[in-house]
Amino acid sequence: MADTNPIKQFEIHELVPFEAFGLNLAFTNSSLFMFLTAAVTIVLFTLAMSSRALVPNRAQSVAEIIYGFVADMLRSTAGPDALRFFPFVFTLFIFILMANMLGMFPYFPGPGLHSFTITSHLIVTVALAMLVWLTVIVYGVFKNGPKFLKLFVPSGVPGYILPFVSLIEVISFISRPISHSVRLFANMLAGHILLKVFAGFIVMLGAGLGVGGYVLGIAPFAMTLGLTALEFLVAFLQAYVFAILTCIYLSDALHPGH
Amino acid sequence: MSRDKESQRDLSKADLDDLQQRIDARREKYKPAAENAHTSAWSLGMRYGSEFFGGVLVGGGLGFGLDYIAGISPWGLIVGTMFGFAAGTLNVVRAAKEISSGSNGG
Repeated sequence: MADTNPIKQFEIHELVPFEAFGLNLAFTNSSLFMFLTAAVTIVLFTLAMSSRALVPNRAQSVAEIIYGFVADMLRSTAGPDALRFFPFVFTLFIFILMANMLGMFPYFPGPGLHSFTITSHLIVTVALAMLVWLTVIVYGVFKNGPKFLKLFVPSGVPGYILPFVSLIEVISFISRPISHSVRLFANMLAGHILLKVFAGFIVMLGAGLGVGGYVLGIAPFAMTLGLTALEFLVAFLQAYVFAILTCIYLSDALHPGH
Repeated sequence: MSRDKESQRDLSKADLDDLQQRIDARREKYKPAAENAHTSAWSLGMRYGSEFFGGVLVGGGLGFGLDYIAGISPWGLIVGTMFGFAAGTLNVVRAAKEISSGSNGG
């Protein structure tokens, strides 16, 4: 029977072993997919924008729509002065979107023969979320100075409970990168496991019951088909949610205590 | 964006405004009823869950750290977790506000 382990898709394989300062810095399939994510994005955008036509063709339209989509999102949630963060938010959005989409390939000609969703590993999403969080702190303090601390002092709170409220606000602020990263990670992990569990049922039925099993297997196959469509939606939606939360957090750095 | 370019041609401004109005009306008419109705339940739950979980984890973690530094175990952990619950609830309330205001699909 074929391997139906739904967790196998998250395995890390070393492609190019490399060790430095006692650390294992091997080029893994995760690194490869990050590299592919960046490379495919750059190539696609370069090709799409190469004509630079006044009246865009299809590919250029898609590129322009994505551009406009992110710019509108940033402008509407964080104000027009947030557009200086446009390259940052756009890069995050497109990187996560492309990584999620590349993860939707069921097969990859590499070790383990499985595709790899880099956003289904917590360490990657934590790194991205910390990047946003630290940007908010560094830019917030740089731009507003001590006024940035207004973020933790909501207006209209009586003095005697202010210390408690501030403490809760501080905890809430620190918890941001956790919820920010866990959401993306959990959605991708759960969705991909679900997909592979249902796909595994087809193989199990076939191996267990022979031809009759493969006929029964139409049911989980239909489910897999539906879930694949759903996963494409989740792949986009989670990139969108990550980007829009980034905008909301950046708006705090720009206008604390609004 | 492209409307400015178009107006250099022989189309008058009024024509364009009229076209834009008709396009907007069409868009409104054919707008998908609930863009992410199918995922919203799933990802909404994930959203609220992670917001609350994050608050409790950080509160408890800070309390535990305080215990470790000040040697007042277990009071830091207990009080910290309580504050963590409060912060988690605050996170959930904020998330609910964001979602109901329509700025975020969850």
